[in-house]
Amino acid sequence: MPNAASSSAATVWAILRKECRSEWRTRYGLNAAVLFAVTSLTAVTFSAGRMPDRPDLLAALLWITLLFAALASMSHAFVREMESRTLLLLRLVASPTEIALGKLLFNIAFLLVVEAITVPLFLVLTGAPPVRLTQFLTILGLGTLSLAASSTLVGAVIAQTRSRGALFAGVSLPLLLPVLASGVAGTRAQWDGMPILADVRLLAAYAVALLGVSLLLYDHLWED
Amino acid sequence: MIWRIGIFLWIAATMAVALLAAPLVPVLQETTRVLYFHIPSAWITVVALGWSMLNSVLYLWRRDLRRDDHAAAAAELGFLFCIAATVTGSIWAKSMWGSWWNWDPRETSIFFVLLIYGAYLALRASIEGEEKRARLSAVYSIVAFVAVPPLMFVVPRIYQSLHPDPIINSSGKIDMDPMIRWCFFSMLVGFTFLFSWLQSLRVRVFRLERRLAA
Amino acid sequence: MDRNWVVLGVSLLVWGLLFTWILRLERRVREVERR
Repeated sequence: MPNAASSSAATVWAILRKECRSEWRTRYGLNAAVLFAVTSLTAVTFSAGRMPDRPDLLAALLWITLLFAALASMSHAFVREMESRTLLLLRLVASPTEIALGKLLFNIAFLLVVEAITVPLFLVLTGAPPVRLTQFLTILGLGTLSLAASSTLVGAVIAQTRSRGALFAGVSLPLLLPVLASGVAGTRAQWDGMPILADVRLLAAYAVALLGVSLLLYDHLWED
Repeated sequence: MIWRIGIFLWIAATMAVALLAAPLVPVLQETTRVLYFHIPSAWITVVALGWSMLNSVLYLWRRDLRRDDHAAAAAELGFLFCIAATVTGSIWAKSMWGSWWNWDPRETSIFFVLLIYGAYLALRASIEGEEKRARLSAVYSIVAFVAVPPLMFVVPRIYQSLHPDPIINSSGKIDMDPMIRWCFFSMLVGFTFLFSWLQSLRVRVFRLERRLAA
Repeated sequence: MDRNWVVLGVSLLVWGLLFTWILRLERRVREVERR
């Protein structure tokens, strides 16, 4: 039993490293995501100006920017695999769940990198009031988890269809609406000095549910 | 034929009694009547989507395409009943609080459910190949249903809402005048039979489509 | 009281139309099934 688990973990880790390496080699996805995020950020902040006194708008804009950056850049994880036909090779050495887990971890890391660049930039450009760091990061972190989980799952589903780009966004978005709603509410609350417990609970529950159910289903996604 | 007439008369009679004879809920006054349509619609939405999810699980387990028929049919019907619930809810909101839409947590939740299953239908429409479509949409249906109970039942309890307190509260006690309760449950039963009928019809159409395509 | 009758009338009409439409659908399905 320990052997199986550790070899599983090793497989997942190997897949994660492979994803990071191939992404780093070209950096297409990362470039696209950061470019998209920064550009939309600029457009928004340029037209809306500084909003130190509008935490509601700030929260909404932040999450929408993140959401769209994620949607624009995450569909490629599985698609690239399908297109380069390496998926078949992968499946010889790893189970679908291991593959998905590796990609999930990669997506989380990917999003964190994008956010590390985008979020501080957002706060500066909009003249946002100082954040309560732990609360802000908790909400951001939990939201990122859901974003990654959803994108990994929908990416895996969509990779097997023909019309990929728009479909990925169209299918992902409704699933992510609860995340958007709680994320915005929580981010706004931490600026308003209000309690964030309800939002945190919902974000956590949603992330766990999404992760749990998607990990159970990856084994059934591909047909042999 | 008899049972079809039965469904018709059952619902018609319930409507008549509910609208003419049943008293009004004090808090709601004249808007009481909407609850006979709104809540059963919402309830059937959950039932339909749950049935769809169940059949999705069964499909992935047994790979029987008939399960996929049921899953797809139920999701479509769930979507329709969800539209009904959203619209009746909006009508209710307009008469109670003066505006058609408030982004109140309950309103938002049902709207999210609507969008999530709209995505399901869009997904199905874009996949070719029976087995692939069945498999992929089954996975989505299961994931989607994970979102439904929290959205429909948990969110309204966490967030403050204008929405009247769930009459069927968490302890399962029902807090209504008996006549209202009877009419309400009667409508619930009627809607359930209606859903069953529509579901079987839709599945039959799916089967025919498959037979004709073969 | 008056308004209730109107609402009832409209609801019954809508329900009747819906019911008839479903019946017709079923009839068509049955026809195709027979072939």
